[in-house]
Amino acid sequence: MTLDRRTLIKNASITVFGAGLPFSGAIAQNRYAKYAGKSVTINIPAHPHYDAMSKLLPEFTKETGIKVEVDKLAIGRLKEKQLLEMSKPQGDYDLACYIVMWKGEYVSKNLVQPLEPFFANAALADPAYDMKDIIPIYLENLGLVGGPKGYLAGPGAKLYGLPYGAETSVLAYRRDVFAKLNLKVPETYDDFSKALRVLKDQSGMGALSSRGQAGHQCVHAWLLHLNPLGGGVFDAQWKPRFNDKAGVAALKFLQDVVATGPAGIPGFGQGEANTAFLQGQAAMYLDSTSLAGVVNDPARSKVVGNVSWAMHPMGTKRASQSGGLGLTIPKNAKNPEAGFLLMQWLTSKEQDKAVTRLGGAPMRNSTMTNVDLVRQYPEFVVFKEALKYSNPDWRPIIPVWDRINVQALGVGISDALTGKKSAEDALNGMVPQVTQIMREAGYKI
Amino acid sequence: MRVSRWTTAIYLGPAVLVMAAACLYPVLTAFQLAGFKWEMGTPWDSAQWVGLDNFAAAFGNEQVWSSLWTTLLFAGVCVAAEMVLGIALALALEHPVRGMAIFRTIFILPMMIAPIAVGLAWRYMFDAQFGLINAVLGLFNIKAMTWLADPTLAFVAIVIADIWQWTPFVFIMMLAALASVDGAVMEAARIDGANWWQQIFLVKLPMVMHVIAITLMMRLIDAFRVLEVVYVLTFGGPGNSTEILALHIYKTAFVGQQMGVAAAVSVLLLVVVAGLSWAALRLSNPMKDDA
Repeated sequence: MTLDRRTLIKNASITVFGAGLPFSGAIAQNRYAKYAGKSVTINIPAHPHYDAMSKLLPEFTKETGIKVEVDKLAIGRLKEKQLLEMSKPQGDYDLACYIVMWKGEYVSKNLVQPLEPFFANAALADPAYDMKDIIPIYLENLGLVGGPKGYLAGPGAKLYGLPYGAETSVLAYRRDVFAKLNLKVPETYDDFSKALRVLKDQSGMGALSSRGQAGHQCVHAWLLHLNPLGGGVFDAQWKPRFNDKAGVAALKFLQDVVATGPAGIPGFGQGEANTAFLQGQAAMYLDSTSLAGVVNDPARSKVVGNVSWAMHPMGTKRASQSGGLGLTIPKNAKNPEAGFLLMQWLTSKEQDKAVTRLGGAPMRNSTMTNVDLVRQYPEFVVFKEALKYSNPDWRPIIPVWDRINVQALGVGISDALTGKKSAEDALNGMVPQVTQIMREAGYKI
Repeated sequence: MRVSRWTTAIYLGPAVLVMAAACLYPVLTAFQLAGFKWEMGTPWDSAQWVGLDNFAAAFGNEQVWSSLWTTLLFAGVCVAAEMVLGIALALALEHPVRGMAIFRTIFILPMMIAPIAVGLAWRYMFDAQFGLINAVLGLFNIKAMTWLADPTLAFVAIVIADIWQWTPFVFIMMLAALASVDGAVMEAARIDGANWWQQIFLVKLPMVMHVIAITLMMRLIDAFRVLEVVYVLTFGGPGNSTEILALHIYKTAFVGQQMGVAAAVSVLLLVVVAGLSWAALRLSNPMKDDA
């Protein structure tokens, strides 16, 4: 019998969660008693979602008696600190936030714990947790390791983390500018290409804001166009295919984005890309849904009330990003159970709504469809539609991806964005290096 | 007075032990690590001995040599500019002038700021859209530049940030050195008819040459190790135009997880810095007279 991805996640969720069902009432009420007075240390990045989360922590301590210590770091420094901490016999972190790309590496190095034993422990699991309510693509993308390709849902996949700060890609655009120019919101990549030119020539601002800094940032920007244009990094045998027609088309499109966008894109990280759009320097923004939390905040945005949202334009297929942040329990945590309780509390239905109200990113279907929150964030209707097309195989989340991402693709693509190399030369030039990295990692290619 | 060998050993012993623990141990560990294939986050027991393979991988990688060239260029330009500016500032401000204490304090402020903060501050200042630098250039009708998005300008940006932060170090070292110059010697030079330039270049600066040499050496060493400012400002880009060797080592170790290869490149960096330090000390070695 062949099970599709959604059925597998559903079944796994029921199995994992079902163990906790017979237990409720007194056990549930005393879930926290054993850990009251203890401290949990959580390692988080400086990120809007986690800024919102921090405001919820006093409530957790009040409800449970468990104190929370927060170790907040710049997102670029998160991994090296986590690797150091998680390598010690006993680490300082009971809960850690990770970027989706690290999940395979952490599991392959045996640094994080599978979550099934925690959810199967009636003394810890919340019977009202409702794992099925978690947006399936987020759960698969952030949480599952060991399935097909090592990171997809399917036989062998185990849950190692929960999505918290997960995201997909959508198009944000300036409603006022589009109306003034009588411009149609791009639905396809052909429309998108034309819109770049029109906006550049007629709007008096950059067309599309984008990341472009060397390393992960420019690769992220390229991947945003690679998938919808029908490309991929590897073929089914793990041979590089990123330099094929679709890969070149995606990079040429990104070069157009640089040529028509706000000045300086090849130096933009996520912060600069967001700022350019929020400060009215670009008419469109194609990236993370996390922007929604700040776009209507007058303290951070000059485009309040002028932004509408649309699906990621369609190329040869409809596709949107899967990625973002998750929470996991290090293998060497001092208080793993208390860490789990905090993770479970933060990702509960009630707290997911609470963090969303504060500008965080929702990870549950019930939050995305909540009437009050949809009133606060009407864009959730578009986001929910985009999630139907979110591709869990957006990028190959294998343990060596970070190296390929930053040290190989991140250099070549950056060279193409500054005009030092053509799109074809940049991509062809990276094939030997990526092949070598894959061979060193044990792939027989 | 005859001093026993034991007395010397007792006085010097603790310092030698501390130096060995703090300096020598990490260097020896780097050499050891360079012989193994090991990833951070895995047990050391799982490390594989690979002999000189990591050195072969490091030296066979053209990105290492391109990073070394970028580093040499960066260090050369930065240190030369810092030495000239620092010495000039010290000469200008060595005499008591009203408000001098405030000037001196302001001048040394940059080197007290954490490098990460320096990187962030300059990242905002070089921003193509909202940066202070472009705003100032705009006052002179100079077109806004995409500082961090152009390989040449990005290199200029990291050089400017380094000069801004470390010129004060040269300034403070030189100020202390100039204060120790014997006034009688300068008086004699004046009486002998030396003009201002001759007093500076033929008398004053040669008298503080040992401090200049030490300062030059310290700045060279630091310029080769600079990491945070470049990490924050450009992350080595665009392309790898600002990927100095320290950043290459960082990426190899913490992104690529090739700790052994990173250690091998570190050894290369150590050799280069040691060679340059030796050359700087050849200029004027303050310890030579004590030998």
